[in-house]
Amino acid sequence: MSQRMRNALVDTTLVGSVVLLLIFFYAPIATLVAFSFTSSRVLTLPIESFSLQWYGELFNKPDFFPAVLNSATVAAVSTIFATVLGTAGAVAWIRYRFRLQGAFRGLTFAPLLFPQLLLGVVMLLWFSVLGSWLGFSTGLVTVIIGHVVYITPFALVVVAVQVYGFDETLEDAARDAGASGWEVFREITFPLLWPGIFSAVIFSFLLSWGNFYVSYSLAGTARTLPIFVYSGIAVGSSPIYPALATVNLVPALLLVIVAEVLRRRALKRQTSGISTS
Amino acid sequence: MRIESKSWNDPVLVATVAPLAVVMVAFFLVPLLMTAVLTFQTTQYYRLVWTWDLKIWTEVFSKPHYWTIMLRTVTMALICVVLTVLIAFPVAYALATRLKTFKTQIQILIIFAFLTDAVLKTFGWILILDKNGVANWLLMHLGFPPEMLNLLFTPTGTMIGMVYNLVAYPIFTIYLSLVRIDRDLVLAAYDAGASRFRTFFEVTLPLSRPGLYSGAVLVFVLSLGAFLEPKVLGGGTSPLASELIRQSFETRVNWPLGAALTMVLITTGALMLAACAAFALRRTATTRRPA
Repeated sequence: MSQRMRNALVDTTLVGSVVLLLIFFYAPIATLVAFSFTSSRVLTLPIESFSLQWYGELFNKPDFFPAVLNSATVAAVSTIFATVLGTAGAVAWIRYRFRLQGAFRGLTFAPLLFPQLLLGVVMLLWFSVLGSWLGFSTGLVTVIIGHVVYITPFALVVVAVQVYGFDETLEDAARDAGASGWEVFREITFPLLWPGIFSAVIFSFLLSWGNFYVSYSLAGTARTLPIFVYSGIAVGSSPIYPALATVNLVPALLLVIVAEVLRRRALKRQTSGISTS
Repeated sequence: MRIESKSWNDPVLVATVAPLAVVMVAFFLVPLLMTAVLTFQTTQYYRLVWTWDLKIWTEVFSKPHYWTIMLRTVTMALICVVLTVLIAFPVAYALATRLKTFKTQIQILIIFAFLTDAVLKTFGWILILDKNGVANWLLMHLGFPPEMLNLLFTPTGTMIGMVYNLVAYPIFTIYLSLVRIDRDLVLAAYDAGASRFRTFFEVTLPLSRPGLYSGAVLVFVLSLGAFLEPKVLGGGTSPLASELIRQSFETRVNWPLGAALTMVLITTGALMLAACAAFALRRTATTRRPA
């Protein structure tokens, strides 16, 4: 009996720790969403009455939409580069053996171990020196380069997990059936890796969309959303920022919902495929 | 898993490896070397002068001010490692062994929070930790005296932010090493009569070491560069190394100094990494030896 009680206690503690973590994780996010609907100018509880006025004020700010556009451009372009480079890198990491592979692995993994601020600073120095030689200054292009360097290792790791469980006999079967190299890739390799690649796309986009440190170092005078927020809250908290936070969550939420729907559909297709065969 | 040996004459290998390698060399390795080179230059009237001397390094090593801040940064990083690992382990363990029904949903919730803009989350913490904030309001309504907590603009506030922003990393690494543990080993321990606790401490915990180490190292290295948390939640009262680096770039426009301080931080992180790797290798070497 005491053994069973002890086990029950352990189970409760473990489940409780997950619940507490989720509360910890969502406390600031929930607070922001709640305060975005207040009608008061001061951000304190209790919230007296609800209004959408801060959303109106946010949309009327002249630098808001340019910042959104910059963030979206940077995130879209960086995602494409990071996913393509990360997928190729993951295949080279896991499936191939070649000379200098150790160096390649170290080089492609190291940015993950770098504090983002230092990564940004190091690249800023390089771009500043390069810029003074070649006559350019930092801006959105350097932000994109910075994001690609920072995000590609994440994409690589996410895809590598998928490559690791790859069943290459399917490729052999396709080749035996007379498929060309490109056909094998298009019909077998790519679809099998797709779940990993898709997760890498979502990961990359959101990492870029929410990135502050790297952008802050490399943006020059350009502004992305996180920089827009940072320069605002460094001056003092204004009620438009909770509204901005809520708006900022929307693309992430949409992506996660799309991913979940696709995952469920794939799961259903898999199980129905098994039952018919 | 079949592994293909490839030679550099194979165009497929060049096509997969070369683009990424070029990007990383051009925008990561070369900038790093450039930073090291810059520490041997000086500035005059806010302009870089190529002098090749040790002036900056003598300045860095002779000013105790820098080293107090460095020490504080390392201390904060170590505290952050301990706290994040203590929080992450039970969570990762619960995800790996319990909660089968809601596992995917919880994972999505954790990843979603992890990927949300760090500036906004940190701003959310201001609203919670403020003297008139959510935390004190809740405590007051639970019967505690008003304005009980005063955490905003203190090192504790900084630490809450750092733990918050970094705890997801050890959750991922520990979870990954826990799910890779062969279930048969645990069952074998039960068959041999070991209790759940004994099994945990003699089988599960030692086998989850890779995840523990890599999570701890990641948190340590990443918290060395914490900038947002000390600035926004710590109110700049006890600055960390990152603040020093920003200042030397923005206020003083002294690139060589900023570069030197960056190199000191990178070296600290690298030494920690090497120490941990050596320790982990020795541990696996001793445990693999037949008893």
